[in-house]
Amino acid sequence: MRAHAVWVIYASILAALLFTLLPLPLDWRGFRPDVAALALFYWVLALPHRVGVATAFTVGVTQDLIEGAPLGLSSPGLMLATLLLLYNYQRIRQFDLLQQSLAILVLMLLSAGIEQWLRNGIDVPSAPWAAVAGMICSMLFWVPTRTVLRHFRRYYEVY
Amino acid sequence: MSWIFSQPNKTGDWGSVIKPLFLKQNLISARFIVLTLLCLSILFIFREHPRVTAVQRGAVDVVAFTSNIVVAPFDAWDRLLESMRSRNALRDEVLRLQQENRVLKGQAQRLASLLSENARYKALLNSARDIEDELIAAQISSVSPDPARHLVMLDKGAADGVEEGQPVLGVEGLIGQIVLVDENNSRALLITDSAHALPVQVNRSGLRAIAEGSGDIDRLVIRHLAATTDIKAGDLLVTSGLGGRFPHGYPVARVTDVEIAAGDAFAVVSAAPASALDRGRHVLVVAQSSQFEGAAAP
Repeated sequence: MRAHAVWVIYASILAALLFTLLPLPLDWRGFRPDVAALALFYWVLALPHRVGVATAFTVGVTQDLIEGAPLGLSSPGLMLATLLLLYNYQRIRQFDLLQQSLAILVLMLLSAGIEQWLRNGIDVPSAPWAAVAGMICSMLFWVPTRTVLRHFRRYYEVY
Repeated sequence: MSWIFSQPNKTGDWGSVIKPLFLKQNLISARFIVLTLLCLSILFIFREHPRVTAVQRGAVDVVAFTSNIVVAPFDAWDRLLESMRSRNALRDEVLRLQQENRVLKGQAQRLASLLSENARYKALLNSARDIEDELIAAQISSVSPDPARHLVMLDKGAADGVEEGQPVLGVEGLIGQIVLVDENNSRALLITDSAHALPVQVNRSGLRAIAEGSGDIDRLVIRHLAATTDIKAGDLLVTSGLGGRFPHGYPVARVTDVEIAAGDAFAVVSAAPASALDRGRHVLVVAQSSQFEGAAAP
């Protein structure tokens, strides 16, 4: 099974990571939707044979480098969410958009929860409760992200 | 190790042309476990390992460069607005700045005489230390996207003489310290980050304390001060110089609130940073402090 146009996957995840760099006022940073994780989750759902745990690891490490956080802080949560998606992608693909969004919210909470746990373990300040609002923003961004990326996947025939 | 990053179809297990209906779950779990252990070992064991910190340092310039590109359109828009300001507004600002300059010059006159007086005393005491600190002017180019942290990117790095641990000054006082330095950029941790604490002194009474970051950009907290301590709202907190990282005498914050609950042994003191941390982009890095010359680096 040969790969086709895989660069679209990495380009879209990279673009999503650049979204993190857009300036926001200090107190609004918590509301920024985690588009990089959404893009990752989309590609795991769409092409589970291409994008998996190793990609999640790379996305997490890149996020840590962008944030200036200790290396390895974001990866475990993202990897666990990816693992759950890999085991359940056939089911989640059948969900309607609301159910999918809620599933994504649960995955976001899970991965953020693991990150908080690690932060407490190594004495890095943990996120304020306002960060939950950011996850709800992420959930609201699931449908647009999915629609745009699906368009790209079909247009460039990524498989 | 290559099996971690190779695609499942390359293992020969699903080498057919037909898309597999079920993924090879053992392989996925194995990857997950190996990579999770890798993350945990970096976090808990090798966090201070030279190679790990080298990766973090090396990323600073790349992140700063990329974020400058992302921010460029916003900056251009700001500059466009700036260039369209009216003549009158500009004239008012020039007048205001001239006024401010006159006041500052007046104060500097006094400072000059005080400095020379101080130098004479130092000479009398046979101490050959310089009076002035060496400063590097820098700009805050971006803020870390992590909402839990107060980490900023500065546009000066090792090439300009910036080193880890150096204090960073705002317009009106201390705002943070350098934590990660790359060739041309560096990251600074602000004093309000909840992982930051610094030794301070009440300017009025000389009382020493530790000012901790609260996680709010406009608030520092002092705990563990006896309820009977002489400290009140309006007191200026300056760096005490203890600990050997921040030179003595830079303004840090002004006490806003002293809360003493009845029956409690300790007061909870809140203070507002002297320099507004979320405003203004121009900062100064104290490259070399006369106070610590000859002392071992902290």
